[in-house]
Amino acid sequence: MATISYPIGGTQGKPAKRPALAEYFRWSIDHKIIGVQYMVTSLTFFIVAGALAMFIRWELLTPELDFVSNGETYNSLFTMHGTMMIFLWIVPMFAGFGNYLVPLMLGAKDMAFPWLNALAFWMIPPAGLLMLMGYFAGPAEAGWTSYPPLSTIYSPDGQTLWILSLHLLGLSSIFGGINFIVTIKNMRPAGMGYFQMPLFVWSILATSIIVVMATPFLAGALTLLLLDRVAGTAFFDIAAGGDVLLWQNIFWFYSHPAVYIMVLPGMGILSEVLSVHSRKPIFGYRMIALSSMAIALIGFTVWAHHMFTSLNPELRIPFMVTSMIIAVPTGIKIFSWLGTVWMGKIRFTGAMQFGLGFLSLFVIGGISGVMLAAVPVDIHMHDTYFVVSHFHFVLFGGSVFAIYSGIYQWWPKITGRMLNERLATIHFWLTYIGFLGAFFPMHILGMRGMPRRVAVYDPQFQDLNAIVSVFAFILGISTFVLLYNMVVSTVNGKVAGANPYRALTLEWMTTSPPPAYNFIGEPIPYEDPYGYGTEASKEYLKAMESRFGPPPPAKPAPEAEPNAPAPAPEPAGD
Amino acid sequence: MNSGNNSNSNSLLIPILIGGVLIVVGGLIIGQLTPSIFPDQASAESEQVDTLFQFMLVIGGAIFLLVQGLLLYSVIRFRKRDDADDDEDGPTIHGNTTLELVWTAIPAVIVLVLVIYSYQVWVDIRDTRDDEVTISATGARYAWTFGYEDPQARTIDDSDEVISGSLPDLHTYVGQHVVMSMQTQDVIHAFWIPEMRVKQDLLPGRTTEIRFTPIEPESGWDYTDELTGAQYNRYRVVCTELCGSGHGNMWANVYVHESEEAYMEVLEREVFDPIINPPADPTIRGQQVIQTYPCSGCHVLDDLGWAGVTGPTLNGAGDRATTRVAGQTAEEYLYESIYYPGSYLVAGYGALMPQFQPGDPDGANYMPVNDVYAVVAYLCAQSSAEENPCDFDNLRSLIETDTGLDVTFGDEAPASEDSATDDTMTDDATDEDASTDDTMNEDADSDETESTPEADEEENTGDGSD
Repeated sequence: MATISYPIGGTQGKPAKRPALAEYFRWSIDHKIIGVQYMVTSLTFFIVAGALAMFIRWELLTPELDFVSNGETYNSLFTMHGTMMIFLWIVPMFAGFGNYLVPLMLGAKDMAFPWLNALAFWMIPPAGLLMLMGYFAGPAEAGWTSYPPLSTIYSPDGQTLWILSLHLLGLSSIFGGINFIVTIKNMRPAGMGYFQMPLFVWSILATSIIVVMATPFLAGALTLLLLDRVAGTAFFDIAAGGDVLLWQNIFWFYSHPAVYIMVLPGMGILSEVLSVHSRKPIFGYRMIALSSMAIALIGFTVWAHHMFTSLNPELRIPFMVTSMIIAVPTGIKIFSWLGTVWMGKIRFTGAMQFGLGFLSLFVIGGISGVMLAAVPVDIHMHDTYFVVSHFHFVLFGGSVFAIYSGIYQWWPKITGRMLNERLATIHFWLTYIGFLGAFFPMHILGMRGMPRRVAVYDPQFQDLNAIVSVFAFILGISTFVLLYNMVVSTVNGKVAGANPYRALTLEWMTTSPPPAYNFIGEPIPYEDPYGYGTEASKEYLKAMESRFGPPPPAKPAPEAEPNAPAPAPEPAGD
Repeated sequence: MNSGNNSNSNSLLIPILIGGVLIVVGGLIIGQLTPSIFPDQASAESEQVDTLFQFMLVIGGAIFLLVQGLLLYSVIRFRKRDDADDDEDGPTIHGNTTLELVWTAIPAVIVLVLVIYSYQVWVDIRDTRDDEVTISATGARYAWTFGYEDPQARTIDDSDEVISGSLPDLHTYVGQHVVMSMQTQDVIHAFWIPEMRVKQDLLPGRTTEIRFTPIEPESGWDYTDELTGAQYNRYRVVCTELCGSGHGNMWANVYVHESEEAYMEVLEREVFDPIINPPADPTIRGQQVIQTYPCSGCHVLDDLGWAGVTGPTLNGAGDRATTRVAGQTAEEYLYESIYYPGSYLVAGYGALMPQFQPGDPDGANYMPVNDVYAVVAYLCAQSSAEENPCDFDNLRSLIETDTGLDVTFGDEAPASEDSATDDTMTDDATDEDASTDDTMNEDADSDETESTPEADEEENTGDGSD
């Protein structure tokens, strides 16, 4: 059992000092500043890419071309939407969470390489600008997958800027990955072996291994594409001896592991959130940790399932086998999470609602993924709206829901204020319903014959497309509920205190927000980051509260001053 | 939830059994949705694919019900109560080895079964058949052309090569073992017929193949050929690999005829007769020939029912061509717009048209001079004037001067006066010869009327078909 023997004192009732706003706009090697910089930048691109999606859905209300003036404009809409969502929203957003939380969860003062950390972040704004500058040169319009020869011979100059932007983003990602691996390996506190780490840290470790192993292949592919475009080489030019399948293989060798980069940290967030808000240990901790590593490794063997209609037919079956196998560790996690929630004492905080939403939606994406893994079925479904549906279920229903969950979970730690729970509930239901209505019908559209990446479609699909678009607009609107909540909280939110959720991981054992040096003295982790329910854990939390003050009361009286003592310590939120 | 405690295990057994039955039955019910979410089954392959999918949907549906059910149950049953529960934590359950083994083993078994089953379907679908017929397909931004070799292996003139011709539509018939042999002129395209459940990319530098066999449709026949009375169904082949601005427009009709006879009649009428007995009138020949190129992918042309949006309209092309460029006659302008499409761009359109060339028969966008002569003649005829606004002699000498190749169209008398070189020519074909001119003249009258490709089939006087 861990005891805390610092003087009782407290920052009861007042938010800890927040860094000045100007800090966030300049070079800082503090991982907490960098983490916020990552997150705000990513959220900005989320809004931009989301707006592009709204244009796409507006166009698709009718089978003819009306909202956009020509096919190229439409093609650049979904190209930029996809590219920005992947490389400028999800990947850097999780890097932001990792940056903010990993040192705190390890009781460390910062990452292993703070300067490299700042460099990695500052490559992102220029990369984003390069991407957007494409609009002045004829934007990339070959899809985020950018297959040659469409992306070489037949694409405008914005495609070159797109390539350069991705080079920068990939390099940034690799720097971050190295930093995380070294930090996690070397900077765990005494008493925290690998199997005492929070699962979020495990997920960042698995993700970072993928990042450093796979991203160089993206760099390689992008370099070949760039050379073909500007230097007269012929890697992908059939007329001069090149081969278009070369791109597909190298690209997907990175891009399939990339999807695990995009989901594993979300799964890590989910583990934290589900345990805290069910007040129960994570069910099957070891299996969740090991299955993350299994997914990371097996994920390198499945790439050509994206190429079932172009790959040499002889080679398709092995990739079917590996793609099916990877369903097993994923299933283990889903059942373990269900086991965590089962028999718990569930609090429906915003974080928990989105966590449960993740479980509900990700399983659908997983099922459609296994269907796509079967070659004969994929031959029908490849490049149709069925695939669009599948990846949005796992990337939005999965990753974005996890990001929302993480925002609700750690906003109090980052800002010192709670987000409003009623707005969170509204945000959740608008998002869940908007998402289902927008993306579930796409399964049917795809199966019945609608290809993807088209502005113009067979009129028989119009009714379903109209339904999809209307729900997509609802989904778009839902984002603003969160943004509004953030503004309200910043201005007038309930003070969070150090540990509003009475959680056991180390990031909660300091003020909200933490001081620049993170902890006073050496923080001692509780023996089990998910050890809820034991007397020892209650003692640990009591000691924490006596040091930092109790969490804010759940339902304060309308005129309660922030300094009024609550009748009993209660976890915040509903 | 101690696994060792007997009474707990027993009291769990009943709910687990009931739950298990519910999700299996629920999965089976969900699986029944399969036919309503797939389009009609039009091929032998579609039956196998749909059954495999239904199997997966049953399993997936059961898993879906299991997970959503447990979630729903949990959020109701295990929510924190508002009263004394505040401070309490849940039970300290870290795991359950038996359960974890079970939920690893069962998915592993399911996955194994799916792999084996899918492998069997795959092997079956791609198996070669004994009496396959190859139809070639060419994808170009943004239209399809399909090439048919004469099943009767006829040749014309002195050539040894069996005649073959192209159409913008795919024709097949019930029971035909089709092998699509496919090439692309430019970027990657993909060939997909949803009702047949087959898809294959077209890759530059390669010839790719896909096989399918149409079957008798369960829901019956939708169309009847007015001339022959034969029935057919019509589907679409859709491009499913992003190929540029016109990707959504890149589709073609697929006609599945009810019998081989009906199919042969249509091919004879649409493809081989125009080759064996080309019309003397270049505008009529042009109307046939233009359909063997991917023009429909980008242009509007009411005469042929085209609705492409990437390029300017061809309606009234003959009229506009006379005054489009100062100093250029109508035929000069139209000729240039095919062999040198970048030399004049209509306002509002980009330089996207492929450049056709007469010099390299194996190269991309090959269009021999006889074809460009006929096509220009036909485009000239897209005019409201009484007389064709083009000077055909000027056109001929322009082509010959520019390319150095001779335009031989119209040099010889139409083949109807020559005897066919293959003895297996049937009486039907001979009958066609005799009445060819009448047929063609009627077509000339209907030049200006709106007609869709299928309407054309029905409007053709049926002299040559039985």
